Amino acid sequence: MDYFYHILVIALIYVIFASSLNLELGYAGLYNFGHVAFFAIGAYTSALLSLAGFSPAASMAIALLCSAASGALLAMPALRLSGDYFGIATLAFGELARLFALNERWLTKGPMGLPGIPRPLGIEAGISGIPVYFIFTVTITVAVLLILRKTTMSPFGRALKVVREDEFVARAFGKNVFSLKVRAVAMGSLFAGLAGALYAHFVTYISPYDFSLNETILVLLCVVLGGKGTLSGPVLGAFVIIFFQELLRFLPIPTDWGRFVSPIQGMIYGAVLVILMLKRPEGIIPEHRTLQC
Amino acid sequence: MSGYYLQLMTNGIIAGAVYALFAVGLTLVYGVFRFINFAHGELIAWGAYLTLAFSALIPFGAAIFPAVAVTVLIALAQERYVYAPLRKKAGITLLIASIGLSYFLRNGLRLLWGSDLKSFGFEAARGLVFFGITVSRTQIAMFLAALIFLGFVWGLHKFTMLGKGLRAAADSLELAEIVGIDMKKIGRAVWIISAVFAASGGILIAIDTNLEPMMGIANLLKAFAAVLLGGAGNVWGALLGGLFIGIAENLGVAFFSPGYKDAISFALIIAILLFKPTGIFAIMKGMR
Amino acid sequence: MLTIENVTKSFGGLTAVCGVSLQLGEIPITGLVGPNGSGKSTLFHMITGFYSVDKGRVFLEDREITNLKPHLISRMGLLRTFQHTRVLPFLSTLENLIAAAPLQRGESLVKLFLRPGAVRRDEKKNTEKAREVLETIRLQRLAEELAGRLSYGQQRLLELGRILMADPRVILLDEPTAGINPSLVRDLVQVIRGLTGGGIQVFLIEHNMPLVMELCDRVLVMDAGGLIFEGFPHEAVKDKAVIEAYLGKARDASKS
Repeated sequence: MDYFYHILVIALIYVIFASSLNLELGYAGLYNFGHVAFFAIGAYTSALLSLAGFSPAASMAIALLCSAASGALLAMPALRLSGDYFGIATLAFGELARLFALNERWLTKGPMGLPGIPRPLGIEAGISGIPVYFIFTVTITVAVLLILRKTTMSPFGRALKVVREDEFVARAFGKNVFSLKVRAVAMGSLFAGLAGALYAHFVTYISPYDFSLNETILVLLCVVLGGKGTLSGPVLGAFVIIFFQELLRFLPIPTDWGRFVSPIQGMIYGAVLVILMLKRPEGIIPEHRTLQC
Repeated sequence: MSGYYLQLMTNGIIAGAVYALFAVGLTLVYGVFRFINFAHGELIAWGAYLTLAFSALIPFGAAIFPAVAVTVLIALAQERYVYAPLRKKAGITLLIASIGLSYFLRNGLRLLWGSDLKSFGFEAARGLVFFGITVSRTQIAMFLAALIFLGFVWGLHKFTMLGKGLRAAADSLELAEIVGIDMKKIGRAVWIISAVFAASGGILIAIDTNLEPMMGIANLLKAFAAVLLGGAGNVWGALLGGLFIGIAENLGVAFFSPGYKDAISFALIIAILLFKPTGIFAIMKGMR
Repeated sequence: MLTIENVTKSFGGLTAVCGVSLQLGEIPITGLVGPNGSGKSTLFHMITGFYSVDKGRVFLEDREITNLKPHLISRMGLLRTFQHTRVLPFLSTLENLIAAAPLQRGESLVKLFLRPGAVRRDEKKNTEKAREVLETIRLQRLAEELAGRLSYGQQRLLELGRILMADPRVILLDEPTAGINPSLVRDLVQVIRGLTGGGIQVFLIEHNMPLVMELCDRVLVMDAGGLIFEGFPHEAVKDKAVIEAYLGKARDASKS
């Protein structure tokens, strides 16, 4: 039963993580493949601060701001790039961030990682604290979704869509495209950092290996499979992917074959991405009706 | 002290020659199809691993040929089943599909051969020494092979109809089609060349170092940085770019931590995209 | 109210616009004609900030707008359409209109969360205005339809509606009737005429000469990047330079 809570918490964290990417990718049309970097910044900032003695709650709050600020800062030069080159540049940035975490041992302890991250609000460490952490995470997730709902169903959200669909029209009608994009990335990075901080305090041990290309693919899959540009799409995607990912560990696989699980999962994820692009790029929950009569 | 740097330079040029192979393949594909094939890296890896597999059955020298052939088939299959159907869609759809394909192929590799380091099992032969610089036999082989392949492309580019077609296509796809150049044939030729280069380069690198599942994407990013340095679609630029990256990486270790060796490529990618997207070594027109 | 002083634009070795000066003054509808490639759309892009100006200056009323960012120029009341229709296909007709409204406080994140009442009022006001505009352009029954489903002509009308939403002072229309069937052209022309109420000026690029003669109070003719004629429409068709420009192009075309 505890393990079920564990999977739920991870799924909720990914709901936030995927929804934050969806704001940039689904609403603003910004293919930020380095999004995992802000997940990592949130995780590491919160972990380091709380290990240094700050209360975990305060650490998480500061981590949010750090992620948002770094997101905005990085966005500004990168936004000059067109769609796919923005994707590649952000991907390169994500990898740079991982290398930084791996090499700057004085800060991040490098490949050894950071163990013993305390839980917020006095929640107990270890397995006993999981159910309470679950309630904590649910509350935060609901709050995030409400905020995102208000944001996307507003004139701001509509302006983002205009920017996504046609930048020329956006400019011709007074929308400051650059400012809108920076704000979208700042907000996306803020919630990615929140997800990262939640992750760090949940698993209580993080290392650079938690923030690699695999996580980039995972979160991209959540958004693209669930349905980009919708509120419920990333939620559905996150639950589907995370439950698939975690429940696979439960299958009674003979130990000899244990090493096949991860590559097969990887192949499935890759194949799903390709098939989605070929057959149903809008995802399970489509954003709008098709134009066909 | 300068002997040390000269050694690093030599290592860099040789490594760079192989990177140039990858970059030229990648940029040829871009020139004709106007997209960056993320799965190109996996052609590098599969070329090496397939050689490993075949060399269990036949001598190493012979194993190279079926390995490269199968890699070419993989490339052609990529084009036929994934990229061609998606050609009309937005560039980002192709990018995501190629990322997915690359992940699929990389994990296929892990499934078949596992994640630990593998090796072809050649002994490290004693190197030859020229003017105080040590070059291993493998390095000589790498350099010669790269020269031969690149020379082949140079000849192709300059003298054959195919080369003319490639240059026309790189300039303007629409015009090339209007003038009657058979884009299907050129497309297939480009995939074959890039796959052969990728597989061969992968085998060479695997001889020099070892095989591991991430070798594809690690080299892809270097190739990609080289392509950008030269201006996407520019074959000579890609060549020079590859050399530059090889030299930069090897000289760079003299100045900062080896853990950041890969970071050079990433940083270059970001820097070029931000400051000079048309490339630094672009000899002819830059990218669209 | 739109003044252009000696503007020039080159691309590499090619000069697209060379030393063009004009003033829209008090004229309600001005036409801009000329053979293909004469630099008309380039001029529009330069006025509206989508292309940079190499030399020269542009003024809206008394304020210089040379090389300002397009969204700032638009906020000052200089609005435009493009050569091909650019409605947002996946938004409804009504949403396309509402999205075009200027100064929406709900577009600011801070105001969205701290002043929800003001945001709601703006939205209500803009929705009502959108419904009025829909009636002006006679697309009421298509309010909820996805804009991508509209016919080309209806989309062009929608684009005019968007401009109405945005409090225009000067409107630049790039080939508004190109490719539209004649029955809808009537509607379009009526809407364009209707735009000029309240001191609003229209500056339009057109190839349809009879339409220009009928609609425009004044005509400017461009050829090879320069302005070769300025005056009344009926005089333009008799002007030697104008005839030479069009005939010259026809002669070149028949030679090759």
